Amino acid sequence: MAIFFCRQLDAGQDLNRRSLEKELGSRIRFFPLPCSGRIEALHLLKALESGADKVYLVTCPVGACRYREGNVRAKKRLAYAQGLIEEIGLERERLELVVPSVPPRTTIDRIARDLLAEETKLAPSPLRVKERGEERRTGKGYRQEGVRR
Amino acid sequence: MITAERKPLAEIKESIAPYKKLLVVGCGSCVAECASGGEKETALLASQLRMDARKEGRDLEIKEITIDRQCVYEFIDQLADAIDRYDAVLSLGCGAGVQAVAEVFGRTHVIPALNTTFIGQTKEAGLWIENCRACGDCKLDYFADVCPVTRCAKGLFNGPCGGSKEGKCEVDPDTPCAWQLIVTRLEERGKLDAMEKVYPPARWSRKGGKGPRKITREDQRA
Repeated sequence: MAIFFCRQLDAGQDLNRRSLEKELGSRIRFFPLPCSGRIEALHLLKALESGADKVYLVTCPVGACRYREGNVRAKKRLAYAQGLIEEIGLERERLELVVPSVPPRTTIDRIARDLLAEETKLAPSPLRVKERGEERRTGKGYRQEGVRR
Repeated sequence: MITAERKPLAEIKESIAPYKKLLVVGCGSCVAECASGGEKETALLASQLRMDARKEGRDLEIKEITIDRQCVYEFIDQLADAIDRYDAVLSLGCGAGVQAVAEVFGRTHVIPALNTTFIGQTKEAGLWIENCRACGDCKLDYFADVCPVTRCAKGLFNGPCGGSKEGKCEVDPDTPCAWQLIVTRLEERGKLDAMEKVYPPARWSRKGGKGPRKITREDQRA
């Protein structure tokens, strides 16, 4: 699972996300953004291409963006990326927008734990299944190619 | 700027079907400005195609490269080192770019990934409008820099037609009436007397009809 999120959501995000990454290892990858408006459709596609079963984009609540409309733009870009993956036969649910309640009273690791609890609803990515087969043959590990942290 | 839109993925897939190694080439000029063929769009299409191939269990090797202009030899030359290692080129250039690349690398199949659409202007973020038909006989000076050939649905040189409502075209209510724009701007410039003139037809022979047009400048030639 990959989680792109706005850093403004959680002042302690650096420690919170790292502790969860340490606990869960390669099951989860966080990508903090200065604002969710920084997201590009390419980031979302690259995360899927690199083997994530599901990619979340966590934005500030509507009207609470520090940069006014970053979360509005983020929502549109996610919708665009959903259209692109649908074109190749992937479920649009593999990309999901998460908007915490107003005002956000939670931390990014708590949000992630809630999302992990729902993860089983979606079958493993067909790309990941192929990749696993590839790993067995080549001995190569999972990589997040092209997505800058 | 020349605008373009990406072709449907199914059409692109059909065109690239015979090939296993593909060079996907973007263009950093006009089609980058209209968000159809720049570096980002090239990477997006390449990512889509890679995932699609992996999902279907097909072998497809893709390399992406974006050059500044696909319609100028000096920039196309940057592909020389890579092109022989690939079966075909998938170009995100305009029609001129695709043809220029194919001319330089004659043995390579260059496949267009875009439909070239019109000469236009970035009106606002995410909105491009056509404002030039490249007719070859520009009359913008007469019409307060608003082209009636392109922006008037009826192409009137001696408008307005009288059918506009609240400044919008009767043919398409989302489009501003070109003649309303012309009259308003002439008024602002204190040149409303230009409306009294009768403008003769343009020299449409310059628009085409005799094969591809060309421009020759001796001072620019080698």
